[in-house]
Amino acid sequence: MAAAATGSGPLREEEGSSGETAAPQPQGPTSVSGARLSRLPLARVKALVKADPDVTLAGQEAIFILARAAELFVETIAKDAYCCAQQGKRKTLQRRDLDNAIEAVDEFAFLEGTLD
Amino acid sequence: MAERPEDLNLPNAVITRIIKEALPDGVNISKEARSAISRAASVFVLYATSCANNFAMKGKRKTLNASDVLSAMEEMEFQRFVTPLKEALEAYRREQKGKKEASEQKKKDKDRKTDSEEQDKSRDEDNDEDEERLEEEEQNEEEEVDN
Repeated sequence: MAAAATGSGPLREEEGSSGETAAPQPQGPTSVSGARLSRLPLARVKALVKADPDVTLAGQEAIFILARAAELFVETIAKDAYCCAQQGKRKTLQRRDLDNAIEAVDEFAFLEGTLD
Repeated sequence: MAERPEDLNLPNAVITRIIKEALPDGVNISKEARSAISRAASVFVLYATSCANNFAMKGKRKTLNASDVLSAMEEMEFQRFVTPLKEALEAYRREQKGKKEASEQKKKDKDRKTDSEEQDKSRDEDNDEDEERLEEEEQNEEEEVDN
């Protein structure tokens, strides 16, 4: 009868999956790329940050930027690895493409020896 | 549970989605490559955290903030990330501000609503009484017809 007109419905914002789900979850509002808010769960990123014994506290903004930076990093390394796959005329990215990209790109030097 | 920090992986589904969107349609990625990228992302976060922490300590702060992370990006030679990250930070701050204002507005609305609800209740009670009277009249008419 007297419907809750002022009810704003589920106010919960889309923060990405919080568990290890196999099925791809429907993403929240995807606005223009670049300023897109992070899809990586901030809780997981925070857990990584806290794993560093030297870190005392990290502000929410810092966690958010780290999450977004990690996304940009994934995009970047995927594209660089794809260049190698393209040269081999393959349509599937293999582990060796990634290794090649790491060796070829200076910025990825910090990854050497960490992925084995 | 996690023996090494690198074992704290980010969710596979999200990593896969980011990779697929970065690459052209029709391109696939093997499971090994995907899990390697996921691990690389974790290592990246750890490395960036460590760099950012150095900046925080230099500033004699105990809490990592956004500018520490941005400085870390430059230090790690990922300057190309700095501009999109700054934009993302602006959007994030706007959203946080919006959320705060929305929750404050909600509080105000709630207070206003409880006041008006009390007025509505008394009005509804009057309506119910009218309906009951109408029904009774109809019943009376039927009885007369039967007789």
